[in-house]
Amino acid sequence: MVAYHRPTTIEDAIGLLSEPDRVVLAGGTMLNADREPSDLEAVDIQALRLDRIEADDTGRVRLGAMVTLDEISRSESIPARMRHVARAEAPSTLRTLATVGGLVARRQADSVLLAALLAHRGRVALAGGGGADDLELGELLAAEMPAGALITAVTIDPDGAVATAGTGRTPADVPIVAAYGRRVGGAVTVTLTGVAGVPVRADESDPVAGLAPDGDFRGSSEYRLMLAGVLTRRVVADLAREGVG
Amino acid sequence: MEAGRASEMTEVTFDLNGAATTVTVAPHESLRAVLRRLGMFSVRYGSDSGETGAAAVLFDGRLVSADVVGAAQAGGHAITTLEALNVSPELHPIQAAFVAVGAFQSGYSAGAMILGTMALLKADPDPSEAEIRDMLSGILDRETAYTKPVEAVKRAAAVLRGDKPDPFGPLVLPPMTDGLNPAVVDADDPAVPASSSVPRLVPSRDVPDMAVVGKPEVKVDSVRLAKGNPAFTDDIEPRGMLYAKVLRSPHAHARIVGIDDSKALALPGVRAVRHHRNTPRVKYASGGQSWPNPHPHDQVSFDDKVRHVGDRVAAVAADTIEIAEEAIRLIDVTYEVLPAVFDERDAMKPGAPVVHDEDDTHHIADRDRNLVHHITARRGDLEGAFAIAPHVFEQTFRVHQVQQCPIEPHISMAWLDSDERMVVRTATQVPFHTRRMLAPLIGMDIKDVRVIKPRIGGGFGAKQEMLIEDIAAHLAIATRRPVRLELDRAEEFFASRTRHPQTITFRSAVDRDGRLMAQDMYVLGNTGPYGTHGFTVQIVSGLRGLSSYNASAKRFTCDVVYTNIPVPGAYRGYGGPQGEFALEAHMEDIARALDMDVLDFKRRNWVKMGDEQDIAPHLGERAPATEELDDYPKIMSSGIEECVAQGGREIGWHRRHDPAWKQPADRPHIRRGIGFAFCMHGTAIPFLDMGGCSIKLNDDGSFNMLIGATDLGTGADTVIGQIAAEVLGVPLDDIKVYSSDTDVTPFDTGAYASSTTYISGTAALRAAEVVRKRLKERAAMLLEVDEPCTIELRDRRAYAADGRSVSLEEIALDSLHMQEHEQIMGTASHVSPDCPPAFAAQFAEIEVDVETGQVTVTKLVMAVDCGVAINPVTASGQVEGGMIQALGYGHCEEIVLDGAGRMINPSFGPYKIYRADEVPETVVFLVQTMEDSGPFGAKAVAEIPKDGVAPAVRNAILDATGVAINDLPFTPERVWRALRSHA
Repeated sequence: MVAYHRPTTIEDAIGLLSEPDRVVLAGGTMLNADREPSDLEAVDIQALRLDRIEADDTGRVRLGAMVTLDEISRSESIPARMRHVARAEAPSTLRTLATVGGLVARRQADSVLLAALLAHRGRVALAGGGGADDLELGELLAAEMPAGALITAVTIDPDGAVATAGTGRTPADVPIVAAYGRRVGGAVTVTLTGVAGVPVRADESDPVAGLAPDGDFRGSSEYRLMLAGVLTRRVVADLAREGVG
Repeated sequence: MEAGRASEMTEVTFDLNGAATTVTVAPHESLRAVLRRLGMFSVRYGSDSGETGAAAVLFDGRLVSADVVGAAQAGGHAITTLEALNVSPELHPIQAAFVAVGAFQSGYSAGAMILGTMALLKADPDPSEAEIRDMLSGILDRETAYTKPVEAVKRAAAVLRGDKPDPFGPLVLPPMTDGLNPAVVDADDPAVPASSSVPRLVPSRDVPDMAVVGKPEVKVDSVRLAKGNPAFTDDIEPRGMLYAKVLRSPHAHARIVGIDDSKALALPGVRAVRHHRNTPRVKYASGGQSWPNPHPHDQVSFDDKVRHVGDRVAAVAADTIEIAEEAIRLIDVTYEVLPAVFDERDAMKPGAPVVHDEDDTHHIADRDRNLVHHITARRGDLEGAFAIAPHVFEQTFRVHQVQQCPIEPHISMAWLDSDERMVVRTATQVPFHTRRMLAPLIGMDIKDVRVIKPRIGGGFGAKQEMLIEDIAAHLAIATRRPVRLELDRAEEFFASRTRHPQTITFRSAVDRDGRLMAQDMYVLGNTGPYGTHGFTVQIVSGLRGLSSYNASAKRFTCDVVYTNIPVPGAYRGYGGPQGEFALEAHMEDIARALDMDVLDFKRRNWVKMGDEQDIAPHLGERAPATEELDDYPKIMSSGIEECVAQGGREIGWHRRHDPAWKQPADRPHIRRGIGFAFCMHGTAIPFLDMGGCSIKLNDDGSFNMLIGATDLGTGADTVIGQIAAEVLGVPLDDIKVYSSDTDVTPFDTGAYASSTTYISGTAALRAAEVVRKRLKERAAMLLEVDEPCTIELRDRRAYAADGRSVSLEEIALDSLHMQEHEQIMGTASHVSPDCPPAFAAQFAEIEVDVETGQVTVTKLVMAVDCGVAINPVTASGQVEGGMIQALGYGHCEEIVLDGAGRMINPSFGPYKIYRADEVPETVVFLVQTMEDSGPFGAKAVAEIPKDGVAPAVRNAILDATGVAINDLPFTPERVWRALRSHA
């Protein structure tokens, strides 16, 4: 990085981001970890007051883009299982920095919290960039992040019963594949990590349909598909039981 | 450093430990770098991406990794570092709690742990264990298994709530055996309830009670570690210091046909560039071993050929690290890329690329086949035994490559002192070997080289190497300025040292009664591109593989081959973990094939008191014996039966036969199992490892003790101090230990081979005895006693038989200032003809998800006979931490290379080491025996915890599922595929 900016309004931030080679600096866990040289300028959005968790009149919960994973893990407005997922997403010294906006921007294939946001009908509020100011999370993940846009918040439906399952090398390992299931009434939604370039929704009756995951040293394509089937079956079975929440 | 544009500097103001602080920072500068620039040395480097947590600070009260916080981001915020607590000589209660329970080994991440505890206890004065472990989840600790840090947080919480916890120490348990015969463990006899952080101590009646030895003394370096005081290599900043960076090969095997450093030298701030064209070609072997270093000497500081991705090409010294990084990108190198070979099983095949084709490397067994060494050793009539044996078993095992992962990476500083001697301050386990090996590389005499070892942030064998010191020294000579070279985390993975991969085949002949008749072990060892420890590591694999069980005939055959993988070297256990994995898996499978109880089968064959170490002399490091000898070393102490009894009760061994436990009804995809491994690990290298010690009396009756031994965080300084204190009749606090500095302290081979307590401790004991003798003579003179031998030293005084006494201070003042002036001092050294093995019973309890292959290790128990544990708290810490390292080896850690030899997971996370919120419960038993050849009965403890976990987990998987897996590690897909094949 060659310059640092700390705008105090969203308008100023959007103005800065409209120039090339300027990038959003949120928690810093990705941008600051990269020691490769660049001519990028950092636009630090910590002064934009995007750090609140609020419930709206419709029952949806709005997570400001600068809300940290640690704050999600402690918020009573968040379903207990999702809080646990937020806690497991990163260790203590990084979870206090990493933000929900950064999580969406990174769009990591193995992020269980991102899969959880997807299952909870996550929507992403955007400013600038010349496009829509509100997108479904799945839609955003399926496309490129609009150039010059700033994620300002993620909203979710917190209700419903939740179940999760995952397989990793150790208990706290980032799962090779994980399934996050949510049931509202009779409707079940399952999202999967580790089977595509980003977390995806799965058809619970045929969870591997249309999937062709890349393999790596932690799990081959064949193994990931097997896990997708097993783990989906487990969360669906858990959701079918009474009292899951 | 930036690609093109100049950085716009920013002035930021933040609250640092309560004081407004304004600094000018670059946009890319991390908060860690700026805090260290401001003198906050407790904030330490572990990686640039923050996963180690060694640089964690409080940011507005939140625990954050300062590695990934931009310094500019800190403007307007409150930053707290450990230094904030250091407002008085006394320790803060949190610091005191960590010290009291022995929670620090190297203490490299002490600041992070203490600050995390502060934040946690502020939010919740009575946190649960899960909350404590969650707080620690972001602070990787390669040393403790987190057991004692968790205990420290609980203790700190209790103290801050107003409680007064009992002193921390071992739980003394009665023996379950007579010391020789197995115990019958009643299934209804439960494990003794106690915190898992508390070592269980089973005393021996042969061991007398002592004043200092055997006591849980706090470490002698506690204050400096708990306060985060500048103590490590990087914690000084010589004026005018330059920063070095190494250009590393992107190719696994290539010849350097052109190198142009002109652009790099033209970059402002670059002070020197070194590569093969401007550096003398002096051959050496980098392994930190006694003179003469084993052949082949196949390395030079900079070569015209690279042999692995990450190999040295050139090095730069510059005014800043950013300029150095930019400069190495400006060095224009032309490579002729050569074919490469990575798997030891391919290295000797016809047509395999020849890794060392240069003509100035000698003593390669067969250069054209990449065969570095061919090693053989044997006893007895092997062929005859196999010819008549009713049962013959043969199995092949593959063990993989892992890295030591000290949280402090390799770091060295070099400068020319006022006499123009070379001074190297370096994180090394082998300061004296480093001095001797470095001198010829830089064209200086040994007498003109001084190596200083400050505190070290873990080594585990990776620092038993002269790894980067020559680069720093070459650059210091070229620039005549101090030069600092630190590896980043990725370099630490692929450009330092690793554990040797091996392919191991065992063949065993067994009689009808289940007794071994013969064992034949073949090791194909992969030493990567350089020999370094390649010879001796494989020998130790043979020792471990063939010394544990009795058989009338044995043979060891080993081929060590060159390949193009990252360089293997020493790693705690040193060949033992590889050999023991194969051996204990093999023995388990034989027992099952013979339908024998595994403990009965192993017990029938394992070595016992009085048994010969029958193949050991034939596998010596120096001139192995080729003829049968008249006398073979014998086992003179063994507590293995007590270890098995105590460990078996703790793990609940009888549950192996409980179907309801093994297949829990409410979790149909889970199978449970318990595994066992018999462990045995030698203590020091006989006739080779040597330590020295010097002790002198001070005016106040205290003592300065100089040792060359190298405390890596193990507590060696403390343990050796306890030995001297016991002899001299003083508390440990009266022994001021200093180690090590080649100009000042006596010689020591260094910290390896489980030798420090046994060898350096005996040197200290003997030096103390010299001092004690003179103290008694001076006391006799002052007390007008005729027989000095009747004087006893205790409680800082010298007592005559009639009860009269004189203090050591009075003796000191008299001898230094009053009459017959002398400096009372003693010097001694020690080398041992013996190598008494420690013994242990390792147990593992696991769960297997039979649908996914995921293995979860739920409990590890190790009962160790390490003779007399000089300090049971530090000894148990060694065992706890060693077990978790070993669990990583067996379960989740692996260096993964792509087809071109590039490591694809050179960071924590992808390279998975255990963290605090996922480690299984660990329980340690210290079973005393009296080893007469050791100081106060001590044997080794440092390496044996590395040996048994992988086979115990493997055998537990077998117990749970009936599936035997012979390759490491037990990652989910490997286990799933094995289960599927079995089905």
